[in-house]
Amino acid sequence: MLLSADKLTKFFVSSKTERFCLWHDVNFELFEGESMAICGESGSGKSTLLFALGGLESVDSGTICFCNQMISHHLNPHIPGISYIFQHYYLIEELNVLENLLLPVRVMGEKVDTGVMNRAHHLLLELGLEKFSYQLPRTLSGGERQRVAIGRAFMMNPRLILADEPTGSLDEQTSLRVSQMFFSICQKFTTSFILVTHNENFARQTNKYCRLEQGELKRCK
Amino acid sequence: MWTLKLALHYLFPKGRMGTFFTWISIIGIALGVMVLTVVLSIMNGFDKTIHNKLIQINGQIKILSSSIIEDCTQWMHTLKNFEGVAHVTPFVQGIALVQHGDYVQFPRCLGVDEKTVQSVLPLRSFVCSGDIADLNQGVFVTKGLAQTLNINVKDTLDIYSPLSLEAIKRDEVLLPKELPVVGIFETEWAEIDKNTLLCSLKILQDLYGLNNGIHGFSLRVKPGTSIQQLCLKLNAHLPKPLRAYSWMELDTDFLYILKLEKAMSFFVLLFVILVACFSISSGLMSSVVRKTREIALLRIWGAQRWQITALFCWQAAFLSSLGILLGFIGGMSVLHYRNGIICFLTGLIFPENFLWNFYSFSKLPAAYAWQDFALIGGLTVIIALLAAIIPALKASFSLVARSLRSE
Repeated sequence: MLLSADKLTKFFVSSKTERFCLWHDVNFELFEGESMAICGESGSGKSTLLFALGGLESVDSGTICFCNQMISHHLNPHIPGISYIFQHYYLIEELNVLENLLLPVRVMGEKVDTGVMNRAHHLLLELGLEKFSYQLPRTLSGGERQRVAIGRAFMMNPRLILADEPTGSLDEQTSLRVSQMFFSICQKFTTSFILVTHNENFARQTNKYCRLEQGELKRCK
Repeated sequence: MWTLKLALHYLFPKGRMGTFFTWISIIGIALGVMVLTVVLSIMNGFDKTIHNKLIQINGQIKILSSSIIEDCTQWMHTLKNFEGVAHVTPFVQGIALVQHGDYVQFPRCLGVDEKTVQSVLPLRSFVCSGDIADLNQGVFVTKGLAQTLNINVKDTLDIYSPLSLEAIKRDEVLLPKELPVVGIFETEWAEIDKNTLLCSLKILQDLYGLNNGIHGFSLRVKPGTSIQQLCLKLNAHLPKPLRAYSWMELDTDFLYILKLEKAMSFFVLLFVILVACFSISSGLMSSVVRKTREIALLRIWGAQRWQITALFCWQAAFLSSLGILLGFIGGMSVLHYRNGIICFLTGLIFPENFLWNFYSFSKLPAAYAWQDFALIGGLTVIIALLAAIIPALKASFSLVARSLRSE
């Protein structure tokens, strides 16, 4: 088992006296290579749940285990094996596409050798970005930028990708193209992913499709 | 060293010659460093010129006595053989009343031994007209005194001895000594040049009724000898009331004021760098706010808090280093053309001899001191790093989830 959530509960404190339950008794298991989608209305706590699964947000009760290690007992922004993709790409504007892909490797303290360079070029090829390698993000379209962000997430050989509305900023056609690319690359590298999205079509393409409604995570598929 | 590389990319993004913030910060630091370099180098130049002038005028060591030194020849012999002493010359000094026609002045009079004086005081280099060898035949006056008395070479000067006062008390009249002006000199030290008369030891001894007595000795030390150390040794050997004074001791207050002026200039001008560093701080703070999501991503990828701090400190260090380099280059360029610049600026507002009249220097002196460069550079980097600390800490302690959800 890659990731498991057991009876997760999160309260949201709105003032000194007032707090309400964002979600409770969230349980699921995700195996290697599996995918999962979380849908729900805005403000239902989807992103909070996603961040909690990645160790960025605390939970008030329950446990999260990633690769048989409990990660819910304290906040840890860096969990090896987990990568993120965000709606707004968050590319480093000062670096070109290739350097954006290599930066996480450098930050992790790994040497950028021929193997890493080959992986970067391979990813750029897979994502159809090879001709943009030395271009700055500001010269790319939204779809191209999101593809760079996907490539960057895969540079660290992740076992799990947490994607927070990765197509939220794109038009319908581009969303479709980017999401197909994302699904296929995940399949190719047998990388698990949890997708938070409003798009039910994309959600249905995953192995486990859940909806977060009234604080409960309900399995739809 | 990804932090250094990314810091450089933040300052100089690909395809651009740096951001507005980068250049404003660099220029701010460069201006501060340039002003400090120029002012301190000119201060050093003044110090050096003043030190040299004080040595040229007084000699490196002066031996003074509160009473008349009678056995001049014997002391000359003793001092010449003293370890570390190269040359000795006796002198008599005082004030006299001088008259030329209707013009009267009370100049400072210095009587020197024309045979030995050249080995200690470079009098020949001060001479504007006349020959120092003629010192036993008349007097030399400074340019300023010559102008005040409306006198020239070959004119005659009436010199009234202070002994005249004693003679008046005894109802006697002591006639003035009539001496020809044999030369005019200029030391470029305004205090001396305004009102000084130079004559032979013998003339002044006669004028003051000293017989063979003198007031003191000027000494030149052997190369490599410490003036302070030699002074201490001399004072250990010399009987009271004789005492040796180094040129620094003779003008302690003046030299202290020079040091104080330099320190105060440094302190005041350091505020220019402080202001520039505040601009770095505010620029970095806005960069932290702008890049809050990128910082969160770096933390997700495994960057430690100290690495995020380093990312912003590198930027401050790089900005300050480049500012320092440009500041030094700018400062040295200004110093190189300083006299042209000063001539142009003073020529616009002030008369030609403005600098000379007020500062006793016709040209701005300058001297580079590596200690000053190191101090300016070191302090600038430290202040810039301190200015970067607050934004850097804000960046490193920002909450990752909150930063990524801020949209």
